[in-house]
Amino acid sequence: MPLPRTIVKPTLPLVPKKVLSERREQLLEYIKDDGTYLPKSVLHADLDKGMLEFVKDKLKVVTSGKIVPLLDIIITTQNWSQYLETWKFVDIDYNPTPPFITVVRTPEVKYGTNPSLQYTIPNRKQFYYASVPTWNGNEQGMDIYTIPQPVPVDITYNVKIICNRMRELNQLNKIVMQTFSSKQAYTFIKGQYIPIILANISDESQLSMESRKYYVQNYEFTMLGYLIDEEEFEVKPAIQRVTQLIEMNTAPRKKRIDKYPKNPDNFETPFLFVSGNTSLTDVIEFSSNMNLLSTSNVDTFDVYINNDYYGSDLQKIEITTNDILTIEVTKNDNTEESNILYENKLI
Amino acid sequence: MKRTLEKLVPVTRLGKFFGNEDFDLDIDMGQEWLEGDMNFTVVLYRIDRYKTKKDDVYGEVLEDGIQFMAPIELKGLVQVMAPTNKLYGSSKVEIQEPGNLKFSIYQKQLDDLGVDIWMGDYLGYYETESKVRYYSISDDGYVVSDTKHTYGGYKPFYRTIVATYVSPDEFNGL
Repeated sequence: MPLPRTIVKPTLPLVPKKVLSERREQLLEYIKDDGTYLPKSVLHADLDKGMLEFVKDKLKVVTSGKIVPLLDIIITTQNWSQYLETWKFVDIDYNPTPPFITVVRTPEVKYGTNPSLQYTIPNRKQFYYASVPTWNGNEQGMDIYTIPQPVPVDITYNVKIICNRMRELNQLNKIVMQTFSSKQAYTFIKGQYIPIILANISDESQLSMESRKYYVQNYEFTMLGYLIDEEEFEVKPAIQRVTQLIEMNTAPRKKRIDKYPKNPDNFETPFLFVSGNTSLTDVIEFSSNMNLLSTSNVDTFDVYINNDYYGSDLQKIEITTNDILTIEVTKNDNTEESNILYENKLI
Repeated sequence: MKRTLEKLVPVTRLGKFFGNEDFDLDIDMGQEWLEGDMNFTVVLYRIDRYKTKKDDVYGEVLEDGIQFMAPIELKGLVQVMAPTNKLYGSSKVEIQEPGNLKFSIYQKQLDDLGVDIWMGDYLGYYETESKVRYYSISDDGYVVSDTKHTYGGYKPFYRTIVATYVSPDEFNGL
């Protein structure tokens, strides 16, 4: 009778798994882990390494108690011969000995088909990512971190198993089918989950009678990745809180005397003739054109400047600094006070 | 197992100037040259097909399940083909595939030893004192009806065996 190999719930978790917004925060922590507030760059080499780790961890093939080794590099045009010298699984001719698994990346990387990133934001526009507090010893402030939208890329990987036995093919096929039963699986690259899709399976086995026979099966995967380049990140200073120290003189200050006139350009000068008074003399401390605004209880009045007669019932008086202005008024009613109001316009 | 007719029919071809005694003499001289003077030696590892543990579905040998009969030294004419550079499929994994081993042997030697060679058996050939390469027989040369394998059209007298290189994962000696 078959028995389950893995016990689903051997222990109760002391810390429950995070969900919803807490899970989103946890994912953000993964991205920022062991670094700055900004995400780390995810470039081609990072995606390739993520694919290698995915194959190594998730597509591990064990037959007859032995792990089928993985060539833990992406084979390129240069490094293979050098790598062979240090690789353990070679024969007397320094040829790799089956069985083994290898990952081949197609050199061309195409614009991505990940629908969440396609052609949505033009011109590498920068977007707000984080506000980061700053303190330089004197000033406290905020920096605004902005990043552009990541660039989607599709990378095709061919995972090949080279072996001599059908059971090794079967084992890898079983693992791939189970892993990709939902069409896609995820690899974890610098805190970010990158989807991988199983695109195709093909056979390249060499079954010729006149040469060595071996199986080669090819699993074609497409990684729906994206590129994040930290060279494109921007940090801009935002608000700053500045501590300013000002020394103040706390000694009592003399009351400030109002200067006359308060309005240097345009002000009024009233002439009040109290009851019984018909003449007023004043030294004018400015030069101006005085225009009559109003009179009250005034029949006529005469104007003298520097004791020289200037005119009577004048609507306008032109006067200069230190002139002595004398106004003599004839009241309508001598028992009441009279008012003459001039408006000064400084020259 | 050798398949022969129960009834023997004498070969009378070339009978006016060539006979069985001549044929045997020439074969003896040829063996003296090939096996005595040339002395190319390969080791035949015959698979015990009854004791070998196999997979029920694919007939593949289980891990360490292959069983061999006692190895036998054979003398013959050895030709090793040139290696070829190739890839494992389209994997970009480059290998220099050793060439096939072509081995010609007098049928009389096999008859004297009482052994036969079958497809799937292994041959070991010492290239140096410390380096041996193993081959899997892909053509056991059992069919020798062609004129080339006869002595002037008289009777077949040798077999040509073609063996391909095997990786240590498949066979690495006993």
